[in-house]
Amino acid sequence: MLKPIRRLVAALSLAALLGSLAFAQVLVVAQGTDAVTLDPHDTTDSPSATVTSHLYETLFELTPEGAIEPRLATDYAFSEDGLTLTLTIRDGVTFHDGTPLTAEIVKGSLDRFLDPENAWTFRFLLDAVEEVAVTGDMQVELRLANAFAPLLAHLTHSSTAIVLPAAAERYGEEFAANPVGTGPFKFVAWQRNDAIELERFDGYWGEKPGVEGVRFLTVPENATRMAMVESGQAHVAVRVPPQDITRIDALPDVTVHNVSSVRTIFMFMNFALEPIDDVRVRKAINHAIDREALAEFVLGGAVRVSDAPIAPGIFGYTPVGTYEYDPELARQLLAEAGYEGGFATTLYTPSGRYLQDIQTVEAMQEMLAQVGITATIETLEWSAYLEQVNAVPGESVVPVGLLGWGTVTGDADYGLYPLFHTDQQRPVGSNRGAYSNERVDELLDAARTNTDPEERLAMYEEAMRLIWDDAAWLFLHSETQLVAVRDDVQGLVIHPTERVLAHTASLQ
Amino acid sequence: MFQYTLRRLLVALPSLLGVLIIVFLMVRLAPGDPALLLAGEFADAATVERIRERFGLDDSYLVQFQRFITGVVQGDLGRSTRTSRLVTEDLADYFPNTVELAAASIVFALLVGVGLGIVSALRSNTWVDALAMVLALVGVSMPTFWFALLAIRFFSVEQGWFPVAGHGTLAHLVLPAVTLGLSSTGIIARMTRSALLEVLGQDYVRTARAKGGTPGSIVFKHALRNALVPVLTVGGLEFGSLLAGAVITETVFNWPGVGRMLVNSILARDYPVVQGAVLLIAVSFIVVNLLVDLVYGLIDPRIRYD
Repeated sequence: MLKPIRRLVAALSLAALLGSLAFAQVLVVAQGTDAVTLDPHDTTDSPSATVTSHLYETLFELTPEGAIEPRLATDYAFSEDGLTLTLTIRDGVTFHDGTPLTAEIVKGSLDRFLDPENAWTFRFLLDAVEEVAVTGDMQVELRLANAFAPLLAHLTHSSTAIVLPAAAERYGEEFAANPVGTGPFKFVAWQRNDAIELERFDGYWGEKPGVEGVRFLTVPENATRMAMVESGQAHVAVRVPPQDITRIDALPDVTVHNVSSVRTIFMFMNFALEPIDDVRVRKAINHAIDREALAEFVLGGAVRVSDAPIAPGIFGYTPVGTYEYDPELARQLLAEAGYEGGFATTLYTPSGRYLQDIQTVEAMQEMLAQVGITATIETLEWSAYLEQVNAVPGESVVPVGLLGWGTVTGDADYGLYPLFHTDQQRPVGSNRGAYSNERVDELLDAARTNTDPEERLAMYEEAMRLIWDDAAWLFLHSETQLVAVRDDVQGLVIHPTERVLAHTASLQ
Repeated sequence: MFQYTLRRLLVALPSLLGVLIIVFLMVRLAPGDPALLLAGEFADAATVERIRERFGLDDSYLVQFQRFITGVVQGDLGRSTRTSRLVTEDLADYFPNTVELAAASIVFALLVGVGLGIVSALRSNTWVDALAMVLALVGVSMPTFWFALLAIRFFSVEQGWFPVAGHGTLAHLVLPAVTLGLSSTGIIARMTRSALLEVLGQDYVRTARAKGGTPGSIVFKHALRNALVPVLTVGGLEFGSLLAGAVITETVFNWPGVGRMLVNSILARDYPVVQGAVLLIAVSFIVVNLLVDLVYGLIDPRIRYD
């Protein structure tokens, strides 16, 4: 009875082994969720952006170190008044279907991105662009409504990638599943919720990848994803759960990489509600939280405690302060504000959206209780949560709410302007706490149009200091990316914009 | 029998319409806004408004429902608001995977469950019976999630017998099918045992014994056939719910089935996909129930359909 079973098992394992051998030079990356779309213009999530970054290219590229380098554009020049950006397009680039890249195509792609009919979420990145004109075979001009300093940074964002307009037209709605780009890999197949396969593009203009292909697997369950990298079925597994870091890292052939991310986690505070409108109360809340303890015990060391509203690696970042854990000072501030006996409030949090979100808020509830603030927790599933926190200031009932913000452009403008400028209060932007400070508005406006990097840095520093001293948020931490990588993988890039890139990777 | 089948299918139409109305209203009455979710936490109000228009979410419910029903009748379930893919294509991708997993699970559950039940009934009130029924109880009560993770750790990571997760080969199917079939196995084992015990006490079984029938022929020819009707009912219901998707098993084993697709689309408020998936699940439930009723007649010739 046992013999046939053994034979069957042996045959099955052999089949599995053969299956894995066939992909010897293919890098296997296990992601937590499937891509939503492979149309870069429509992409808003990291898993999709990770895949499209292998298929498509942007005009400029943000290096992991935060520098802006040319990619499909080889050169650029701003006009004297800052209202025109002239781009020289790279020669000798071809799309996966053989079409050569031209200035016309660049214009077509940018026009598609800018077309209000398409309603892309990230269109605002290029809101400053009024018109795109072809001024030579390999030259385009971006004409701006007003000088906009972060424009080059925004052109590094993966959703501004250059697509082939003719292919987009031909495929229509199906373009999302039939990508045609200029990237080092081309598309092979997509089995939904299972796997996306890419192969090396031999006609690539730049240095060709060291692997023959990349296979992105969707493995939602943390334990399974870890088991895959442990058993060698995947080379790379993203989002290592904090409780598994030590165990996985101790494995002989797997290393857990800890790379900082541009995503900041914070709790916005609603300036339209009492007693949050009192700066002493907001400072008291900031002093009541032991961030180091949260980072170590709740988040397994997978975060970096914030010392500014944006994270390191973003242009404009400067450390502007710390709110020491000081319950005594917190109680004193509360007393000064007239809340000697504390007060009751509600902490809002989504469930499972951010690393250990509920657990973090639960720990904060305890810490707030220590200084007399009785907090109840309101947990909502993400879509219901978004609806709550998106209410306009006068109507919002959320006093304190947990959110994250990824400054994916690598420029402080995107990390500060939509969150703290008075004009960006709901329903227009993402200033959900209705924060308002005239000087901050002035600085953010000026830094937008000033093209001198040194002056911009100084403006952002002053603005961030004001925001910090206003205790505009309950500042928390920036996330770090925990990625398990098998030791036979070389040259993999874990980008701060939450993308794992195989462009320079090779397998031993 | 043909007339019976036709009548049953016609009777099912009002139920289906009811399902459509309920699911249409439920997804819309639940808090959360698909346009907002698509736009994300970073978008401005104008973008949200444009997205709402793009998917016709600014129309009245009546207009939306009319569009939905017209589509259903024409075999068009619309496009996913999240991936802009045809819902029918999505279903054509996921449903076969679900059927594959559900079929493997129910075959495993029937073989092992009926086997255990027979052994228990024949050796009732001995240690064999006790052991088999404890196994059945464990099968029913063991959390799928926990068993799945243990199975992955032992059979895949440590022994390397089966792949950790994914789908495509027979080897990929073994662990998820066993995991998913475990609870049905327990239920079917207990059901088989009690039904068989009842039948074994009947007069015709005593007669068969008196005629000098072998124990094998008595159990398989006379007793089991009569005991199988309730087992089949339970098996059919189990299969129906397996077809509705098994979210936990699909998630742990990374199996691209309807269950995960449905949960993802609910979380994303992807109305067309939720509607399409629920419609398909309702149809498969109705069909499975009908098939079970038809199979009764094959097992028990006394059952007639007219």
